[in-house]
Amino acid sequence: MKRHPVILVAATIVATLAAVHSMGCGATRSARSLAAEKVYVAPGELDKYYAFLSGGQSGSVFVVGIPSGRLIREIPVFEPRAAYGYAMNDNDPRRQELVATGGVWGDTHHPVLSETNGMPDGKYLWINDLANGRLARIRLDYFEADRILKLPNMQGAHGIAVVSPNTKYIVVNGEFEQPTDGLVTNPAPYTSVVSFVDPDSMQVKFQVRVNGNIDIADTSKDGRYSFSTIYNLEQGKDLGSMIQYDRDAVAAIDIPALEKAVAAGRGQVRNGVPIIDPEENPGILTLIPVPKNPHGINVTPDGRYAIASGKLSPTVTIIDAHTLKIIAEPEVGLGPLHTTFDDRGNAFTSLFLDSQVVKWNIDKAVAGKSDYIVDRINVHYNIGHLQAVGGDHMHPSGDYLLALNKLSKDQYIPVGPDLPENQELIDISGEKMKMLSSFPTVPEPHDATFMAVSVLKPLVHQTFTPASDAVEAGKERVVRTGPHAVTVDMTLIRSAYTPDKVEVREGDQVTLKITNVETIRDMIHGFALPDHNLNIALAPGYTKTITVDAGKPGVYWYYCTNFCSALHLEMRGRMVVQPKDSTVTLPDWHAAANVQGQVVPGVPSTGAKK
Amino acid sequence: MKARVLYVAAAALVAAALAFPLWGFAMAAPQYPDETLHLQIARTGIVGDVHEISTLQHFIGVRFPTELPELRWATGAIAALAALLLLGACVGAGTVGRVYRVLCSVALVTFLVASAAVVQVRLYQVGHDRDPNAPLRGMRNFTPPLVGPVKVGNFTVWSFPHIGGVLLVAAAVLTVAGSRKAAA
Repeated sequence: MKRHPVILVAATIVATLAAVHSMGCGATRSARSLAAEKVYVAPGELDKYYAFLSGGQSGSVFVVGIPSGRLIREIPVFEPRAAYGYAMNDNDPRRQELVATGGVWGDTHHPVLSETNGMPDGKYLWINDLANGRLARIRLDYFEADRILKLPNMQGAHGIAVVSPNTKYIVVNGEFEQPTDGLVTNPAPYTSVVSFVDPDSMQVKFQVRVNGNIDIADTSKDGRYSFSTIYNLEQGKDLGSMIQYDRDAVAAIDIPALEKAVAAGRGQVRNGVPIIDPEENPGILTLIPVPKNPHGINVTPDGRYAIASGKLSPTVTIIDAHTLKIIAEPEVGLGPLHTTFDDRGNAFTSLFLDSQVVKWNIDKAVAGKSDYIVDRINVHYNIGHLQAVGGDHMHPSGDYLLALNKLSKDQYIPVGPDLPENQELIDISGEKMKMLSSFPTVPEPHDATFMAVSVLKPLVHQTFTPASDAVEAGKERVVRTGPHAVTVDMTLIRSAYTPDKVEVREGDQVTLKITNVETIRDMIHGFALPDHNLNIALAPGYTKTITVDAGKPGVYWYYCTNFCSALHLEMRGRMVVQPKDSTVTLPDWHAAANVQGQVVPGVPSTGAKK
Repeated sequence: MKARVLYVAAAALVAAALAFPLWGFAMAAPQYPDETLHLQIARTGIVGDVHEISTLQHFIGVRFPTELPELRWATGAIAALAALLLLGACVGAGTVGRVYRVLCSVALVTFLVASAAVVQVRLYQVGHDRDPNAPLRGMRNFTPPLVGPVKVGNFTVWSFPHIGGVLLVAAAVLTVAGSRKAAA
């Protein structure tokens, strides 16, 4: 058979193109498979790291597993969260605390972990509320906010840092300058303070007055200095006057010198906190000039350098963390905001304007060599913070880096105008950075910090040890404690509320003390009361006390909101509210009064004990 | 001589058995991934994950025995058997001694068989004497074997002699060996 040469040539070209195309596809697929394998955590397997991401204007902390990027928990802090029954009801003590200290929302930026010997010990995580000048402490054994502190004499709690290596204080920067004496009539330039908070008592021990806006914080690894970037040394009150000076500063505060001045009574006490003025106490504050309006400050894991990121300048300023002298100011790219580190002497700086992470070698930059830039990788888009695992502690692991990008644009399926935030996980174990995966979150994480699962997991409790005032099974009761007050001691266990009937009268204030008497993990019960703005979630062993107004006459079914058992839907009880003028007698009810000491849920005793 | 040693050892084992749980149960289910539930029958009563298991049982109407009166006489019997066996080591190698030891081994084996029967009856009752109004439908009656698994709903329940039970069985083997030796 004779073939036309043109057909042969055409066939050859098509075959070659197909081969090249399939090779291309193969290569792409292989790179994808490699990345996928690095982040794939099979069902039932556990992630390697806990990542704690600040929730930004969600007022919470997000807990994400790394490398999978799975959102595992949200820890509500400054904002009520119905899902966790957190600070929901008007009479909830935590809600009242939030209202009293600034409001039921917060703007969380910087999660920091308690340290022992420069490494996270799994005891606490602190998170700031920029908006309302607060600092919260989260217990990592229960993943629960346990203390909230309103910082006096300052507004806008921005950068925070733990004083290394053993968590002597939490440093909190006051970003929004205020009249020095707190009087709005004072014409003098506004000033700010850096607060030093005791980690155990959560009290502000002392403050240092600083001119300008105090931004991001870190500390030297030996506990000597706290470093804060400062913008607006001009003390301007509008944008134009905030960016006049060519250089702003990194404020280095000598902590031992500061403690000495406080001990010598050199502080001016305002709102119970001694404030040290560095102008009257030389030797405490050193202002290190860096290009204007800097942003991040990050101390290298070995404690040798503090690195300030230029933001408006394409440079980072490398400061000797012991002598406070500027060592070098290498260019890294446009909009450098924050820097983190691996375990091999490399720094990674986020470039907001370039939408890149730049990897550079610290020793080469310090030595003035020209080839200090190692690699660059594109991120999507406008990266803010970035954090390598352990980069904020003494021993980085050098495996993963999380880029926290401000904009996501085209990265996810469109969901209307308000797009999710975009986190990208980057493999930094090799010379070249490799993009592994991305995951979205609701608005809006700023910063992150990590803990090895192997360290934190053994410290985590999954049930509560019942408190001394917990309600015991068999001792439930409904007792009238005043003309308009009823106290209910209630227990919950699969699949019943005891008591399952609470009779009250319109106008009563009903105080419910509820204990989940389950002992097995993950057996959480809810207590939702319709039309009373009330949902509580109770973990095993947990007790919560809440007071609600009885409301309008009617029958209200309280029910379990946290799916528990095969009889979850049946797990409910009634609050019967009698009209104000009802003449029905409402005897007290005691579970213990039931026959043979047996607890019969919800059976009111006829011979009620008074 | 040999019989004496065996009987002293057997007496010690029987006495030791009182310090340990006699029987054990392990209950595994998908939603208890690394937290298999355990129950032990000990001299003092039923111990272990009693709280959780009593919480679960209402779903299938099992009446969890809160008290086991048998344990009182079993404890007495075990203590008495330990004393009898110790005596068996002292009664010498004569005919009286030999007969005594044979009776001892018969007593111990009888005790074990009787106890096993009682336990089995109890296990049968647990699986059959259920609340007819229990919420879960479609649950068949069940009888956990003395040793081995049974499927109860989503649970696989294993029964097995615990340390005390094993010690008693070991003691029985020793006494039988001891009485055979004496007879030979």
